Amino acid sequence: MTAGSSTTTSPRAPASSGPAIELSRVSRWYGNVVAVNEVSFALGPGVTGLLGPNGAGKSTLLHMMAGLLRPSQGDVRIHGRPTWHDPAIYREVGLVPEREAVHPYLTGWQFALLNAQLQRLPDPAAAAAKAIQTVDLGDVQHRQIGTYSKGMRQRAKIAAALVHEPAVLLLDEPFNGMDPRQRLHMMELLRSMAAAGRTILFSSHILEEVERLAENVLVVYAGRLAASGDFREIRRLMTDRPHTFTVRSSDDRRLASRLVASPSVFGVELVDGMLTVRASEFAAFTVLLPRAARESGITLFELRPTDESLESVFAYLVRR
Amino acid sequence: MNWPIVVVTLRGALGRRRTFLVALLAVVPVLIAAIIRVGGTSTDGAALTAGLLDALLVTTVLPLVALVFGTGVLGSELDDGTAVYLLLKPIERWRIVVSKAAVAAGITMALVVPSTLLAGLVVGAGRGGEAIAIGFTVAVLPGSLVYAVGFVALSVVTSRALIAGLLYVFIWEGLLAGLFAGTALFSVRQYVLALAGWLAGSDGKAIKSSVDAQTAVILAVVVLAVATAIAIRRLASWEVRTAE
Repeated sequence: MTAGSSTTTSPRAPASSGPAIELSRVSRWYGNVVAVNEVSFALGPGVTGLLGPNGAGKSTLLHMMAGLLRPSQGDVRIHGRPTWHDPAIYREVGLVPEREAVHPYLTGWQFALLNAQLQRLPDPAAAAAKAIQTVDLGDVQHRQIGTYSKGMRQRAKIAAALVHEPAVLLLDEPFNGMDPRQRLHMMELLRSMAAAGRTILFSSHILEEVERLAENVLVVYAGRLAASGDFREIRRLMTDRPHTFTVRSSDDRRLASRLVASPSVFGVELVDGMLTVRASEFAAFTVLLPRAARESGITLFELRPTDESLESVFAYLVRR
Repeated sequence: MNWPIVVVTLRGALGRRRTFLVALLAVVPVLIAAIIRVGGTSTDGAALTAGLLDALLVTTVLPLVALVFGTGVLGSELDDGTAVYLLLKPIERWRIVVSKAAVAAGITMALVVPSTLLAGLVVGAGRGGEAIAIGFTVAVLPGSLVYAVGFVALSVVTSRALIAGLLYVFIWEGLLAGLFAGTALFSVRQYVLALAGWLAGSDGKAIKSSVDAQTAVILAVVVLAVATAIAIRRLASWEVRTAE
């Protein structure tokens, strides 16, 4: 587990010299169900990935940061100001919600213009044109959003969120529905916005997506903050965690006794003719197993990792 | 008032198929009035006009039109998620409520006022029903406003505003307000009838209402203020629904 927060002073932060986003012991529950449990972190400029499986609490966290949900407990602040009950924060904050609903009768251009007008910008048309250009929606800007593909709608939503060039941009699963080219373009855009001093926080349940874009990550699982900080450090924890495999061979019992002698294997189990092995390192075990089988004259029929899902990785991080 | 909100709300409301269906509903009283005029031989034009406008316009068309638009302008956007694009803006919540309510009331007036005037004149002109028709036509203007604002507030309070609104119109106003005197104090229909009767002058005796005009005006203003306050307060504390 890494340190609990990664804080950088934002050169564009208008209200205070503290973190752009700050959560202190924040919980949110619905009746008896705890969606977010005692989460604390602070973020400054740069791109941060909010990683976790579906239902982990990512959207709840983002909605609390955007002032669309009241924390049941704790404090959510952006540039030092509580986000709940304060519409003025939306001059500094943009949110791209996960829900696809966008006024279907408006064109992309009209939607961006509406958002610029609602932000009371001095030149809404110029701001809308810039946002449309930024998300590469120029070719279809005069088509009704109801006729857009999922990826186009997503870009229209992003244009609406950044039309006022917010210092803090929150994005809930922003790459959903985008093709690889659009995805690359959007990642480049978010990187450049971060380089300009903005604080970007995006949620995703796809590890590779986060790995490609975010320097820092927040890993949430079952409403708790499982890890936060530098992505490479967390990735190492994920890679080096204990791994469980099931093995079928010509002589499972003899293979089990041979494997358990190895220091990288700390558990074997033979139940109902199925050999289960727990190893400390993935890569080391994939070298050890064929060597041990060959030296013992045993034929391997099948090798299967049993806990490679992302959920199991998150669960492991929470247990640590 | 916020004009971009007014414009986008108008576009959303007028672009829906149900707007066309509700517009057809507003035509029905005029058609019925024409049938009565052609087929009837009544000499008491004032009573006939009052009965028709009460039963068709004030009891049915006005609350239904206001219900459809009052619950549609904001409540449906809160339900489908498009309202977040308004709420994520540095705009005071009262401006959003007032803009939405103005659109709902405006469309209701635009559909109900001509229908009331035409139906009233078709059945009552030349038979002593003119003053009744004018009285109802003017009275449905504030009636549209109070109904529309009330239903906008209802749509922020509950996601089942349409059902709650129908229960109010048909059970509270249609049934209970006729049985118990106290319930009539909270009936917009009774306010409209009282005002129409007062505006019609001496012919207004043909319009039966459970409250007098002065009380109706005071209660309508109170209901309008309370409904607006509730809508603003609830919208300020509105929370997005998440799947988690």
